[in-house]
Amino acid sequence: MTDQFAYPSDREQTSAERVAALEHLLIEKGVITGQTVDKVLSYFESEMTPLNGKKIVVKAWKDPDFAARVVVDTPAAIAELELPEGMAGAEGEHLQAVANVPGVHNLVICTLCSCFPWPVLGLPPYWYKDPVFRSRAAREPRTVLAEVGVELAEETEIKVWDSSGHSRWFVIPERPSGTEDFTDEQLMDLVTTESMIGVALAGQSS
Amino acid sequence: MKLQHYLGGLEGLPQPLNLEKRVFVEEWEKRIFGIHVAMMGLSNHLGSALPQYPIAEVPTKFRDEWTWADLRTGAEGMNPFDYFKFRYYEKWLGGITQFFIDKGYVSEDEISALLGASPPQSAETDAVAIDDQVIDYLRRGDSPRRDVAHPKFAVGQQVRITNVPAGAHTRLPGALRTRIGTVTRIFEGDYAYFVHTGDGIGDPMPIYIAEFTPDELWGTRAEPGANSFYAELFEAYLEPVEEDK
Repeated sequence: MTDQFAYPSDREQTSAERVAALEHLLIEKGVITGQTVDKVLSYFESEMTPLNGKKIVVKAWKDPDFAARVVVDTPAAIAELELPEGMAGAEGEHLQAVANVPGVHNLVICTLCSCFPWPVLGLPPYWYKDPVFRSRAAREPRTVLAEVGVELAEETEIKVWDSSGHSRWFVIPERPSGTEDFTDEQLMDLVTTESMIGVALAGQSS
Repeated sequence: MKLQHYLGGLEGLPQPLNLEKRVFVEEWEKRIFGIHVAMMGLSNHLGSALPQYPIAEVPTKFRDEWTWADLRTGAEGMNPFDYFKFRYYEKWLGGITQFFIDKGYVSEDEISALLGASPPQSAETDAVAIDDQVIDYLRRGDSPRRDVAHPKFAVGQQVRITNVPAGAHTRLPGALRTRIGTVTRIFEGDYAYFVHTGDGIGDPMPIYIAEFTPDELWGTRAEPGANSFYAELFEAYLEPVEEDK
């Protein structure tokens, strides 16, 4: 039998020790500082989170002119909002929003790697990086969506966007019905990372 | 051909989809992610990036280029069975560690000697300029746009996707090779890629969105229903369709 797919029992321990040793050496040798990694993580935990995307979506829901602009020139439209500095920074240099409308559902994938709009959605969850999702969503998006609870009408067109170029894509999901009286905070609660990539609807319980 | 270039559309994979929503499933994964971002933010090519980072003055000992292209080339060059075997950040850890060994920054012996050791004493130092550069890179990025577009193809035009031999790295999804699509958008600029991949990209060139029908891509194995597949493709991956053939 091949041991190609055998994992050692200390798999995670070994990785944890090796990355700690590598970081230790890089600090000692002056490549990075003792704070570099923590500062990077803090940047993503505090400023570049899905909260930015949620604010963009809610603005689009409440302001039809903004909704029209954000899918044409996404960086210019989101620059109008009060978001942290850096929306056009790393992995946000060329943001591109696409909007779900009645009869059209958008799904963003990256078949070659894991391109993701960091400034507006934060870092990609594991499902997005999973080769199984990347493979299957390309050929059978309707089946994949149904498996995760997004049952689309047969006549709804699914547009799959493969992030193979310079753009970093995200989805403006449809506003759920019956939310006319919701506050901004209540509306933002309906928006998830999954809904802004297209594997969930806004307001969908998961 | 490289299997990693052909993930889109691969059949026989597990159902139903596992929607693991965590970004990191082990604490150690955060550390390799942070190291990778630091390398990108300290990469020596950033001196010629549009924000003109003062990279030569940053007091880091890192003096190499490190971009997504390096990480991706490593992942695409893996034994494909290992590619599927290892989790996302396990691949990063392997590739980045090997880079630092190959470039002489660290040795396997040094790593082995530190396994299980406690972290180094760290205090704020004047090397804070290293961290400032990394965060500045995150805020200002590294746009590949270099000019206005000079497109060869027009919106509405049918194009055939090239089928050049696989390079070490590509931005051409394999399932699109030889297929015919329709240009639906030309982006505003010409866009460089971090490296010359050997299959045509690197120098600034237009990028298009091409639309493909499921039938064109997957034939009888297409999923029934109204679906469209859009890819962003560098101009080097497009050819005119020869109508007379």
